[in-house]
Amino acid sequence: MEIEHIKTDVLILGAGGAGLFAALHAKQANPDLDVTIASKGLLGKSGCTRMVQGGYNVALGPGDSVERHFMDTIEGGKWLPRQDIAWTLIETAVERVQELENELGCFFDRNPDGNLHFKAFAGQTYDRTVHKSDLTGIEIIGRLMEQVWALDINRLEEHRAIELVPAKDGSGIAGVLMIDVRTGGYRFVQAQTVMLGTGGGPSMYRYHTPSGDKTCDGLDMALRYGLKLRDMEMVQFHPTGLLGGPDTRMTGTVLEEGLRGAGGWLVNGEGERFMERYDPKLERATRDIVSRSIYSEMREGRTTPQGGIYIHMEHMGPEKVEAMFPGMVKRCADCGFSLPRNEVEIVPTAHYLMGGVEFECDASTVSPGLYAAGEDCGGAHGANRLGGNGVANSTVFGGIAGDSMAAFIAKEGILRDPDTSMIDQAIARCEKPFSVKGGNCHELREKLSNTMWDQVGILRNEKDLEAAQETLKTYQAELSDIGIPIEDRRFNLTWHDRLNMDSLMSMSEVITVASLAREDSRGAHFREDFPETGDLDKTNYTQIYLQGEELKLETPPVEFTHVSPGNTLIKE
Amino acid sequence: MTTLRVKIWRGNENEEGEFQTFDVPARENQTILDVVTEVQRVQEPGLSYRFACRVGVCGSCAMTVNGKPRWTCRTHINAVAKDGEITIEPLRNMPVIKDLTCDMTEFFQKWQKAGGKFDGTITRKDPVATLPPSDLKRQKADAGIECINCAVCYSACDTVNWDSDYLGPAALNRAWTLVNDERAANRQEVLDKAIGDSGCSSCHSQGNCTAACPVGLSPSQSIHGLKRMSLLSFLGKGI
Repeated sequence: MEIEHIKTDVLILGAGGAGLFAALHAKQANPDLDVTIASKGLLGKSGCTRMVQGGYNVALGPGDSVERHFMDTIEGGKWLPRQDIAWTLIETAVERVQELENELGCFFDRNPDGNLHFKAFAGQTYDRTVHKSDLTGIEIIGRLMEQVWALDINRLEEHRAIELVPAKDGSGIAGVLMIDVRTGGYRFVQAQTVMLGTGGGPSMYRYHTPSGDKTCDGLDMALRYGLKLRDMEMVQFHPTGLLGGPDTRMTGTVLEEGLRGAGGWLVNGEGERFMERYDPKLERATRDIVSRSIYSEMREGRTTPQGGIYIHMEHMGPEKVEAMFPGMVKRCADCGFSLPRNEVEIVPTAHYLMGGVEFECDASTVSPGLYAAGEDCGGAHGANRLGGNGVANSTVFGGIAGDSMAAFIAKEGILRDPDTSMIDQAIARCEKPFSVKGGNCHELREKLSNTMWDQVGILRNEKDLEAAQETLKTYQAELSDIGIPIEDRRFNLTWHDRLNMDSLMSMSEVITVASLAREDSRGAHFREDFPETGDLDKTNYTQIYLQGEELKLETPPVEFTHVSPGNTLIKE
Repeated sequence: MTTLRVKIWRGNENEEGEFQTFDVPARENQTILDVVTEVQRVQEPGLSYRFACRVGVCGSCAMTVNGKPRWTCRTHINAVAKDGEITIEPLRNMPVIKDLTCDMTEFFQKWQKAGGKFDGTITRKDPVATLPPSDLKRQKADAGIECINCAVCYSACDTVNWDSDYLGPAALNRAWTLVNDERAANRQEVLDKAIGDSGCSSCHSQGNCTAACPVGLSPSQSIHGLKRMSLLSFLGKGI
């Protein structure tokens, strides 16, 4: 098999908020660095930063403070976040928002007096979410990608990373093996530093929000490489995903939080506004509570024709709904439903992985030269991510990774010789489906997504989780019998669908193992057999890594380095 | 209508392409992207296309549908099917990579040629500018700022089709938002680029861009604004 070999100083995987910021900062730190950015889709167009509707949390408002934002993050995360990571996130967010405005040209919404407008977002004690109407992600990525396009960097668009390749002598990262999606050829990019910023994404669930390119490839590579993943049981479900049936890609996509906030009702298939049976805050309860309530209704069979529930807006007056939510009304109409006329069916939908690679405040990992940022990383959010902390996380740590990689290269940068046996193994894995006949990859992905939804989803228990573990093993056997009927490697989506399944299967197993291990309920993780939250003072996190072929689990204690349960950093 | 007859363009870079016809079951909730997906999953595993966000914010899935450029993830079949027939081709005015995917490199290079990036006057250490939303220049910038660079307008533009050097509506729209951004240090430089060779003066004001824009922006108005400003600049009035 022919492999093209190229060399660079800084290699970045992923071109969302984390990847683009890393490229920008690495070049700012040292314009002479050769920077390469590789992305599974188009630069700035794939990934989820662009899809951010809500906004960006930052302690910039009068009367707000880094301490207050930090406490909201720790309490929202149910004391599970790694506190130094969360602190770095929140402290640096201030500078990053100013950078976005002053250096990149973003313009966030203003009050009539010309100062930044901060909107309220659930779970926060202060209005601190800066935004550009409900298209904040477009404003951020639009400006960021312009800056990166203007740089002298190498762009490897539509490149799928398939293996983080270690140095032959075990001294660190040597580079990354990729498939050029357009030509179907293999390319090994040797680099002094690599940043993992491919963006997680729980797309192994029947209903999910992330963009279609996200299939946990980065996490799967990290696990194989030997990195440890933390908090992987923490999968955030958004309560209001669009339900359009099994054969449409519109299913699972997010309808914005504001619909409930503004007074929308959740109504089950029997016409009942059911939230009063679950929470006194009704539809305005937090994401996790609303998702669990909707799921309970669905499990009891009180569903709409397609198996979800309705979101009702008509009582607010159709004109008012159209004026308040023009984007949502138009999107629903494009899909064939009238939002103001109560025609939209919804389901909770898998939205974000709080867990991910263990990394440090400078975005480094345990492997010299290998950095990570964004949704691929775990530690900042703990058991629950605050709306508005996601885009902060990717842009803050992406920028930090860019700075750190430039500093690392200045001090001890070196091109390491790759362990070529890893390259050979990875290619063999990717080539194998071409020698297999038959099988239906799409059917298997549907089965996987149903198992994860039904047994490792919003309400969990030991019996279901153990059953899921067994089922996943049979899927693994089925997967190895699925072939690719098309020999032409060029832009062969069917091949990539098949490779996506490898990553999704691997992370499904990890999520299941972590979910079994956490025998308490907190944040996004709810165990019906352990409905109470355990003792916060003795909070442990789940840590999963690969030993040989086997997943190993440990549960180290969370260190309360900045504040311990029952205390606060807020100075009254 | 229980079946859709779908004609899809198949071909590679530097190769002659041809249409291939598929019969696809019609469903109540079905977009053009869903139709293309179904063909790839069930009938033609070698079909190449591109998509990402599924909600109309990335523009990766734009294609030519029944002769018009569109976001396929946000186009319901009922909005376009004529007697149960749909024709799907790659976007025009850009080189095809394979089947329904095209190479957007030149589109983004032109974005840069039109001056499309902000240079600031202050840094990340400074507070953000105090700028009321009532500011007239800001309102002009805001009117064009929500572009997602999907290239639907660029594909719809006949001038780009005749003159491959023409910078095109999306790039010039961005230039217009920049020359109205009072925080930008490079407003004059952007204006010079936008009114320079193959810039706004090449536009024939046909308005295809505005008619096609899925966001509802008006690149033609932005280009008109640039032309006016170019005249004022010629008369010695600064921006």
